[in-house]
Amino acid sequence: MMETMRRWLLAGIFAIVAMLEPVVAVADSIAVAERVVRPVNSAFTFDMGGAQILDTYLTPIKYTGMGMRLGYERMQAMKFSPERWVSQMDMGVEYQKVKNIPRNHTMHSLMIEYQWGMMYRWRLTCVPGLQLMAGGSTRLRGGVIYNANNSNNPVSAKIHWSVNLQAMAAYNMRVGKLPVTFRYEATLPFIGAFFSPEYGQSFYEIYLGDRSGIVHCGWWGNRFDMRNLFTVDLHFGGTSLRLGYRGQIETSYVNNLNYHFFTHSAVIGVSGEWMSLRSGKGDVERARIISALY
Amino acid sequence: MVAAALSMFLVSCHEYEEFSNDPYGNFDALWTIIDEHYCFFDYKDIDWNEVGQRYRAQVLPGMTNEELFDVCAQMLKELKDGHTNLISSWDVSRYWIWEQYPVNYDERIIDEYYLNFNYRQASGIKYQILSNNIGYMHYGDFSSGIGDGNLDNILAYLAACDGLVIDVRNNGGGYLTNVEKLVGRFITERIHAGYISHKTGPGHDEFSEPYAYYFDPADDTRIKFLKPVVVLTNRSSFSATNNFVSIMKTLPNVRIVGDTTGGGSGMPFTSELPNGWNVRFSACSILDPGGNETEFGVAPSDECKVDMDSTDMASGHDTILETAFRVIGEMGNSIN
Repeated sequence: MMETMRRWLLAGIFAIVAMLEPVVAVADSIAVAERVVRPVNSAFTFDMGGAQILDTYLTPIKYTGMGMRLGYERMQAMKFSPERWVSQMDMGVEYQKVKNIPRNHTMHSLMIEYQWGMMYRWRLTCVPGLQLMAGGSTRLRGGVIYNANNSNNPVSAKIHWSVNLQAMAAYNMRVGKLPVTFRYEATLPFIGAFFSPEYGQSFYEIYLGDRSGIVHCGWWGNRFDMRNLFTVDLHFGGTSLRLGYRGQIETSYVNNLNYHFFTHSAVIGVSGEWMSLRSGKGDVERARIISALY
Repeated sequence: MVAAALSMFLVSCHEYEEFSNDPYGNFDALWTIIDEHYCFFDYKDIDWNEVGQRYRAQVLPGMTNEELFDVCAQMLKELKDGHTNLISSWDVSRYWIWEQYPVNYDERIIDEYYLNFNYRQASGIKYQILSNNIGYMHYGDFSSGIGDGNLDNILAYLAACDGLVIDVRNNGGGYLTNVEKLVGRFITERIHAGYISHKTGPGHDEFSEPYAYYFDPADDTRIKFLKPVVVLTNRSSFSATNNFVSIMKTLPNVRIVGDTTGGGSGMPFTSELPNGWNVRFSACSILDPGGNETEFGVAPSDECKVDMDSTDMASGHDTILETAFRVIGEMGNSIN
């Protein structure tokens, strides 16, 4: 299914970029015979910060607390047009522990997500080091929110597939002698599908077979999600220290059920570029290196 | 596009009602939770607006938590629902119908005079072959997990009996999945077990169409009991037990003997107030296979209504169990 989604996403992005092509001219100056090396930009990150969850299937009370996330991001210039196209894969597992206002009840949220996308890249000659990217991605995210106080509604299961608009700005510069990369990225799902039980439906009833009305087309009328990521990569030799901020907004209103999920987290991690230099494919030293981010 | 996204955000980020953490806020939160989620208003013909106004007049700005709890608890009792509780750190409000009826069960009589303190126990089921070659099993809590292997052992041990008594008196309920597992040992083909309906919105009349659900027999490799079966009940047979009895009553080789069950056919959900009190309430209605509400209990089979007799008890006899022996005998004769 992911492969099919990926093909459709590719087709859509190509169509959008084809329309933009006459407006923004980008030089793709790869010599035909020139060896191109496309390093993989990998980052392992750990997020920690505040979280706020409202899920009226579980409780009408807004819970607040802390959350954390382990993430892996992989970016690479794409083979068919490395100057212009960048692919990005992002996966993460996150956990939130939140409490009600009197702090006597606890909810636990555990989510796993996978996202793949590709973006078209513009290098602005007027601002050296600045590159802008725009494109699309698809994300599959699922997990559970567990409220231990509840009887037959202890869990709110979440699964959401989305197609997203995505944009990124990256700026490479030096602070003193230290190379630094600033990056801002926004992801905005605009269509998809997600699961929600009906207003007073128990999971036991779903188990018995009553599954009508639990899968919904997600659009901005019943669901609005947004992800903002700001990072600074400090390049210390071959490895970089990544610091940043990640903000998540997830909201939905369907089956008369209200769901809000907000996080604001500090990001710390390591990133670096890894190259595959296989022998017998020409002179490595003369190869042209096209980075996805740096 | 950003403007469009933001406008849509305002739509999808739907407003919800937040209540203040003071006596009025907590009372209103409780009233609203029940108003929007409780599933038996029409069946019980309850005017919840009138109830709310009557009890809200008793709320005062400076009242203590204990005083507020008492007002809220009294309001919930108007629902006449054993599944509805207000839970604070010092008390649980309740409406337990069995407190108004004969107990109809004395475990000591069973243990001493019928089991001679000699019984087996597995998966929360106490069982033994009685002196008249009737199998007896008491399942006291549907929250006790039942293993297939345990049931195989129990039913294999009781296989040679002429009949089986399943005593679910004082069983206050538990997991419906255990009901399905137990019923599966007394059927040979798929049965219609009942209907389930849930609320689809906050209105008192917003319900889904009742969904028919079915139980399958246990796998062919599992041991079943298909001889005469009598289920013993009292008013403390509640919730999942009530559901079990409503299903067993429809089986041709089963009779229900004792008192009407305690009811509790609404599947309870839990919510909470701003001050941290929990409230449990009936959220989904489960109907019997005939499409009837069993919120107020399941009656025994015809001519099987019986209460414990104090004279019998004094002489070490369980009137309901003795009636079960007679019924099994009659069922056996009719089969033969």
